[in-house]
Amino acid sequence: MSKTVLVCCGTGCLANGSKKVAGAFRQLLAGTDHQVECVVKETGCNGFCENGPLVQILPDDITYYKVQVQDVGEIVEKTILAGAPVERLLYKNDAGQRVRSQQENPFYAPQMKVALRNIGKIEPSSVEDYMAHGGYRALKKALTMTGEEIVRELEASGLRGRGGAGFPTGTKWRSAMELERFPKYVACNGDEGDPGAFMDRSILEGDPHSVLEGMAICALAIRAEEGFLYIRDEYGLAVHNVQEAIAQAEARGILGEHILGSDRRLKLSVVRGGGAFVCGESTALMASVEGRVGEPRAKYIRSVQRGLWDCPTVLNNVETLANVPVILEHGGAEFAKLGTERSKGTKVFALVGKVKRTGLVEVPMGATLRHLIYDIGGGVKGNRPFKAVQTGGPSGGCIPADMLDLPVDFDTLKARGAMMGSGGMIVMDDRSCMVEVARYYIKFLSEESCGKCTPCREGLRHMLAILTDICEGRGQESDLELLEQLCDTLEDASLCALGKSAPNPVRTTLKYFRDEYEAHIKEHRCPAGVCTALTRFVINPDKCVGCGACQRACPAGVISGSGKKVPRVIDNTRCIVCGSCREACRFDAVEAKGRAGL
Amino acid sequence: MNITINGKTCTCEKGEFLLEVARRNGIPIPTLCHHPALAGQGSCRVCLVEVDEGRGPKIVVSCVYPIQRECTVETDSERVRRERGMVLALLRKRAPESRRIAGMCRLYGAPELPRLTPADTGKCILCGLCTRACTELSVGAISTVNRGVLKEIATPYHEPSTVCVGCGACANVCPTEAIPLTETAETRTIWGKTFQLVRCASCGRILGTREELELAAKRCGQEPETLCERCRKAATAQILADVYGD
Ligand SMILES: Cc1cc2nc3c(=O)[nH]c(=O)nc-3n(C[C@H](O)[C@H](O)[C@H](O)COP(=O)(O)O)c2cc1C
Ligand code: SF4
Ligand code: SF4
Ligand code: FES
Ligand code: FES
Repeated sequence: MSKTVLVCCGTGCLANGSKKVAGAFRQLLAGTDHQVECVVKETGCNGFCENGPLVQILPDDITYYKVQVQDVGEIVEKTILAGAPVERLLYKNDAGQRVRSQQENPFYAPQMKVALRNIGKIEPSSVEDYMAHGGYRALKKALTMTGEEIVRELEASGLRGRGGAGFPTGTKWRSAMELERFPKYVACNGDEGDPGAFMDRSILEGDPHSVLEGMAICALAIRAEEGFLYIRDEYGLAVHNVQEAIAQAEARGILGEHILGSDRRLKLSVVRGGGAFVCGESTALMASVEGRVGEPRAKYIRSVQRGLWDCPTVLNNVETLANVPVILEHGGAEFAKLGTERSKGTKVFALVGKVKRTGLVEVPMGATLRHLIYDIGGGVKGNRPFKAVQTGGPSGGCIPADMLDLPVDFDTLKARGAMMGSGGMIVMDDRSCMVEVARYYIKFLSEESCGKCTPCREGLRHMLAILTDICEGRGQESDLELLEQLCDTLEDASLCALGKSAPNPVRTTLKYFRDEYEAHIKEHRCPAGVCTALTRFVINPDKCVGCGACQRACPAGVISGSGKKVPRVIDNTRCIVCGSCREACRFDAVEAKGRAGL
Repeated sequence: MNITINGKTCTCEKGEFLLEVARRNGIPIPTLCHHPALAGQGSCRVCLVEVDEGRGPKIVVSCVYPIQRECTVETDSERVRRERGMVLALLRKRAPESRRIAGMCRLYGAPELPRLTPADTGKCILCGLCTRACTELSVGAISTVNRGVLKEIATPYHEPSTVCVGCGACANVCPTEAIPLTETAETRTIWGKTFQLVRCASCGRILGTREELELAAKRCGQEPETLCERCRKAATAQILADVYGD
């Protein structure tokens, strides 16, 4: 009998010591005369990093969480040799029961993995392992097809770009295919600059061959012979795994001079990112690949026509490309059965923020926000009221509670002023200040704007100043109109999509949470109790049970009172408004008020 | 191909830039970062106009907008006036000391926006023409540093540049006279460095800085010029006259 031990060695689990765990398994299983033959594999990210390191045992189909070196002996003895689970390392579901398989885990059960299909199951760079899981079959098939046939499958699939704009991939490939100018290039956008996003990283790290295969299929269709993977500079492991995967695929004769022994060739190489968010924008990315400063240019002529070195170029996002082999293998029509009318397939989201279960989640397009946040995410942390979900990265928008039943797809989110973006999803509870959220994103964008064009560079500077004023109690009633005016100008007159979409966080919060802005400006009060200049914490004596938790939490030591059932009192003149007391109180006794009267 | 600008039919080639077509037809569009020798900048955004190609009007910047199909263009619609006014108003906050920007703001009715704090940096609107000019001359003494709201134009580390030849091309292309260039009878000072001026050996007109002439000479493998263009032509004519007689 043979067993496989899959140790998650994505960035999250590595940080929690998974390399040592894998080593411990190898050591314990090596050389002894166990009846069980056992392979230990180090895989990419399973998407549930907060519970890492993850270890999965096959064929028993048991997954363990938070595994440490000292647990390995017990796992070997009980599970690997005797087939029984180690109860304490299993996941506890919402009903408090321990579950064995990922399929029983509420985080994984509702998911559908297409782009992430191999991650966690294979050794990332290994071409053998990828092929053992069906890899490069689609490429082989593509070699027997004409460019036209390949592009038709893509068009039939309805696949739209996962990098943010949702542009139909088939249409882009067709434009490139029909141009009779050579050379042509394929490029992969792995810049992923959104704070908190890690879907592309995990694909590049955990299943690099799927992206290479997608690029190779594109190259066959449009007749390109060279390609680049532009990978964010901080993603060291991704760069390493992709380079290793290219080397293995070339050594195997899959890529390189003769694609799978044919007379077609493809040379792929990695370019490390320029370290700025704007380098993810297509024209800036191409400038950066060419060795110039990563600044966008006017895109009136699309980069498909005038891309790298002014040649026809197809640039696709990592996740877009990872879907391509699936489409070729099973046919575009099959893929199009997934998802909604105009958004096909699945989408990977990075679900983070005030949600019980955070991680990387893949669901069919059209799943509702409620499904993502409550079923998969398990609801808001501490069962606090849900306030908003921010989707689409820094230039996405905030969606309020009454829209939780919206299906998530490109067009629905856009119609509400937010966007799918690359799939960031940040859950916020009633203790998130929406003005502060807008300020945070505008600050990020103002630092990341390339500064080339007037509206973006100057407009963001002033928007940030106004939002900071509002958060610090200097807001004026006319500010909201001025903000809207600046939003219009950025949208209309900016050079690239960074500036054009930068107003989204301001617009959506103004639209759905205007009362919060007004409370800041007119009442000098931050309803969420976040903006320190406008907040005073007061302990409600009717709710306080006198447990003293707030006193122990207060770093400034300004809460007085002692004894059970005696309400505590905050000395607001010395309070630093850090909010630790409110976090510590389990009876919601600490309330946020305005600073009026202080 | 024909397009309509402000109701007037204009003939143009496919791919021609909208700004050129408008100007050829006597329709004025304000520009700042557009320079015929350094095309494709597209950074200041004051040349924006409204274009309708049959799918509804959209704002484009005319200096880099290549005409692809028949369309109608408005250079002074309400939306154009509003957005152009905002762009100019933002530029005035960036370059409060520029008389040119102030003048354009008046001409195009830019809003005052008293609520917004001006940047304290003089006249530069960060259009990038100067660095383009310097780069095209293959000198590369100045560049933009930082990105986003902290962007500025400078020599490396704000030190006097080691490669600057003092040609003044940057100051010449600057639309807002933001680059200080001062001259005495013998010297020119720019970017914190003072250069010796060379004058025409015959008429005494300024030829340029010594470094500038030496660089030009080195590039074409000749001795540096000593005569200005007019005197050189005159000298050549004299030689020809001497050889062939009058
Ligand atoms: C400021 C900015 C940043 C972007 N960053 C990324 C990125 O990190 N990754 C990405 O795939 N697309 C990014 N995009 C979108 C790309 O410009 C481009 O649309 C995308 O890579 C095309 O691939 P797709 O059609 O497969 O989505 C960004 C766009 C903008 C305007
Ligand atoms: S906000 Fe901070 S300093 Fe103020 S009372 Fe609470 S814990 Fe103490
Ligand atoms: S100095 Fe003049 S040319 Fe250079 S960026 Fe500033 S405004 Fe433009
Ligand atoms: S790295 Fe292991 S679950 Fe993400
Ligand atoms: S003149 Fe057209 S953008 Fe500056």
